Amino acid sequence: MSQKAKKSKSRLWFLVHSWLALPIWFFVLIVCVTGTLAVVSQEIVWLANPDVRASKPDGDAERLSFQQVLDALHKAEPDMAVNFISQPDGSHFALTASVVFPDGSAPTLYVNPYTGAIQGKSPSFSFEAFTRALHGWWLVPFTNGYSWGWYLVSLLGLPMLASLVTGLVVYKRFWKGFFKPTLRFNHGARIFWGDFHRLSGIWSIWFIAVISITGTWFLIQAILGDNHITISTEPVVPVIAREDVPRTESGAPAPRISLDEATRIAKEQIPGLDVSFVSLPGNAYAHVYLGGRGWYPLMFQTVNVNPYNSKIEAQFLINDRSTLEFVTESMRPLHTGDFGGLAIKLIWAFFGLVLSMMVLSGLLIWTKRTAQATAAALKREQRPRKQTATATDTATEASL
Amino acid sequence: MSKAAVAPQSPLSRFWHKWRFHLNILLLLIPLGFMPKYFADAALFRGDSGLGERELGEIKVGPWSVQLAELRDEPPRADGPAGYFKSFNLALCQACIPEVKAAYLRIGKPRSLRAAGTIFFGTPYRMGTSLPVPVKTRADAEIWITLEGWDGSMQQAAIPLSKASPATVAWLNKQGGK
Repeated sequence: MSQKAKKSKSRLWFLVHSWLALPIWFFVLIVCVTGTLAVVSQEIVWLANPDVRASKPDGDAERLSFQQVLDALHKAEPDMAVNFISQPDGSHFALTASVVFPDGSAPTLYVNPYTGAIQGKSPSFSFEAFTRALHGWWLVPFTNGYSWGWYLVSLLGLPMLASLVTGLVVYKRFWKGFFKPTLRFNHGARIFWGDFHRLSGIWSIWFIAVISITGTWFLIQAILGDNHITISTEPVVPVIAREDVPRTESGAPAPRISLDEATRIAKEQIPGLDVSFVSLPGNAYAHVYLGGRGWYPLMFQTVNVNPYNSKIEAQFLINDRSTLEFVTESMRPLHTGDFGGLAIKLIWAFFGLVLSMMVLSGLLIWTKRTAQATAAALKREQRPRKQTATATDTATEASL
Repeated sequence: MSKAAVAPQSPLSRFWHKWRFHLNILLLLIPLGFMPKYFADAALFRGDSGLGERELGEIKVGPWSVQLAELRDEPPRADGPAGYFKSFNLALCQACIPEVKAAYLRIGKPRSLRAAGTIFFGTPYRMGTSLPVPVKTRADAEIWITLEGWDGSMQQAAIPLSKASPATVAWLNKQGGK
């Protein structure tokens, strides 16, 4: 019985594996492809648009400080208001400045980090935002809590995880594939795609696990969010107390410390703090909010500085995170691959492409096998019953 | 699979087998359908289509004036136990930018500057706030704009809620005095 039971069990696993993504294969494929594009969307824009590049004027030019950049912006556009200035990961990217013009338009400006010159304005179509919205929530708008498109996409984490597990169960002694890689080109398309599916599958075990687990986390995150359950220990920073904001007899705005002073104070009091963005106060009672990546590159450290009395009134550092937050906050960067510069992004994009090809090769195998199975079923009707049983069995085993 | 071919099929399973791959087409229609909405929202947040979906025009507040707009022409949105919120955007007049310290919004007349309501965040040309709208708000209520000067002065103006947000009043009427 054991032999037979084993066989039927592995066949069941096989069927489950074949059917996991099938009726929605094209949806899964597009989610994989848009995810791959989203990983390197910033780099694609860098290649396409010279405005976002940090071109150095000459050999030994120094990067400007945030206050110097702000001054340059005000000099170039005296009426323009600035929300925040940020240095994207990688010094080959220009600074981005979120600004508002007197007509109320609120674009992002690309600013040269060496000269402070405004190199360009973000186009109304943002490639980065679009690929992320398409991949992340299928463009379904957020009207009440998480968008149902977010659920639709993040639910795919579960069949993907199941595909990985069933795939490894079905592919007996898969570890042998590492030592004896097989990719047969001369045995027809069916064999080639089968080899390709298995070979790329075993080499991307880690990646499929990372993407499906973090994808499932996005589902959990939405469920928690929509049920108003929070696990965050990040302080909710109140506005600056009324008595701490000066009243001026002249009626002119009270002086605030410069962005560089705020940065200096934060760095002085928090050793090792990296400052890659500075957010200007959103009103007279708001802080200067600044921060950057911490020693654990998957998380940001942020500080709120009171611009009137120079006190740090709130901070959220790596060490402030709970153990649970270390895990949950790592999920997003692990999914997007944006925590270690270009190298990690390229690895993520490469395996994203492999994963997309796995969906495609899986489909091709299925189509070919179904064609065979249909042919076999047609033959069976004309032949005596005995032969058919063996014919179908071998068809399935061969297709492994 | 061979068994399934022999076994008699229910109409439902036949329907499923015939149409299952069309699920892909249905799923692809979703982002296509939402694309106009996506680009309209992107333009709204980039300020390319004005201060908000429904602009209320210039409102005089003492010696100053502001532009007010409903971010979206729709009823308040629920935020769990915190209740319902309605987003408004505001822009200060050019001359009052250096004089105005803060802007607030509240349903009903504030008793003091300390209770002026929810504070606006953003730049003088485009700041926003989320106004809490209790379900038991009367349909004839007014929303009050309070501007605070750097010299400590306070200026106020009121507009009927029915003018500020007809969608909110329609929603309140539907709540039926809960």
